[in-house]
Amino acid sequence: MTPPIAALDGPLWPYLALLLFAALPTEIWRWLAVLFARGLDPDSPLLDWVRAVATALLAGIVAKLIVAPPGVLAQAPLLVRIAALAASVAVMALGRRQMMLAVLAGEAVLIGGVWLTGAG
Amino acid sequence: MTVSPDWSWQRVALAGARDALSLPAWIVGFGLVGIGSLAHDVGYPVSVAVLSTIVVWAGPSQVLFFASIAAGAAWSAIAIAVGFASLRFLPMTVAILPLLRRPGQSVWLQLLLAHYVAVTAWTEGLRRLPAIPVHQRVAYFLGFANTCMTVSAVGTFVGYYLLGELPIPFAAGLLCLTPIFFLVSLSAGLRHRGDVAALVLGLVLAPICQRFIGGGFDLIVAGLVAGTIAFLIGRGRRPA
Repeated sequence: MTPPIAALDGPLWPYLALLLFAALPTEIWRWLAVLFARGLDPDSPLLDWVRAVATALLAGIVAKLIVAPPGVLAQAPLLVRIAALAASVAVMALGRRQMMLAVLAGEAVLIGGVWLTGAG
Repeated sequence: MTVSPDWSWQRVALAGARDALSLPAWIVGFGLVGIGSLAHDVGYPVSVAVLSTIVVWAGPSQVLFFASIAAGAAWSAIAIAVGFASLRFLPMTVAILPLLRRPGQSVWLQLLLAHYVAVTAWTEGLRRLPAIPVHQRVAYFLGFANTCMTVSAVGTFVGYYLLGELPIPFAAGLLCLTPIFFLVSLSAGLRHRGDVAALVLGLVLAPICQRFIGGGFDLIVAGLVAGTIAFLIGRGRRPA
């Protein structure tokens, strides 16, 4: 994708874009936390709200990746993608929060599903 | 692994590295394999992919960045979406710093420590650091987090070249590791009804917003609406 200012286009643009539009907006919150951590009560309602928005955002990213998946994942049928997530959540709910097992269950459903539906 | 108070910092850092290699580093490393292939798909060099793992160190930010470029979103929208998706680092960092902070520590060291805050180092750090002597926690944390980062950088590099060569079911499986890993990490961190509401509402609202709001701002709207509702649900259940 081309940069907003044509003169910036070139082999270094991807690096600059990475720093400006991915690293900076991510890192800023870690820096702010260091600078303002002293004054913030970790149990304050404001941080509860921030945490809730953060959780919803992460969940939103998951949903976006499943509904409009990147790359070859788009070749897996939507139902298979949703079933993979459901399998992981089911293992987390039933299996006393075994993260590795949950990840493997989701992966097994996805890979098996793509295989069986012949989407590949 | 337990750490003895008389150990040298090298030995403590090694203990951190070993704990990371016992599982967490592999989970996050495999989770970031997909990033390499996303960078490959938008035509960016492999060094940008690996660098993104080191300087961004946040799976969702990296996925948003590369996937938004692929979708042709505006740069401003990408930066804002990444910024909002990273808001969680503020409370996360605020929560873990007291475990690592010592009198006389420089702000620069704290900024460095804060850089490693991401799902894995954070959840594992909160769990493991309290059992480690205060003066050894920084060495342990750096050993742990740098090991996770190194394994992930290799994973990103391998993913850049490997994914195109794999049979489609496996390539799709590797790409799907990222959303599965995020969802599993989120589920592992659920503490009360408000958290569950935030998770479920976020999952449901994001695709709806994507349909009606363009330009990459859909995720922000979904997160704010779902998070605020979940916050109110969580507060409503707490004794005043």
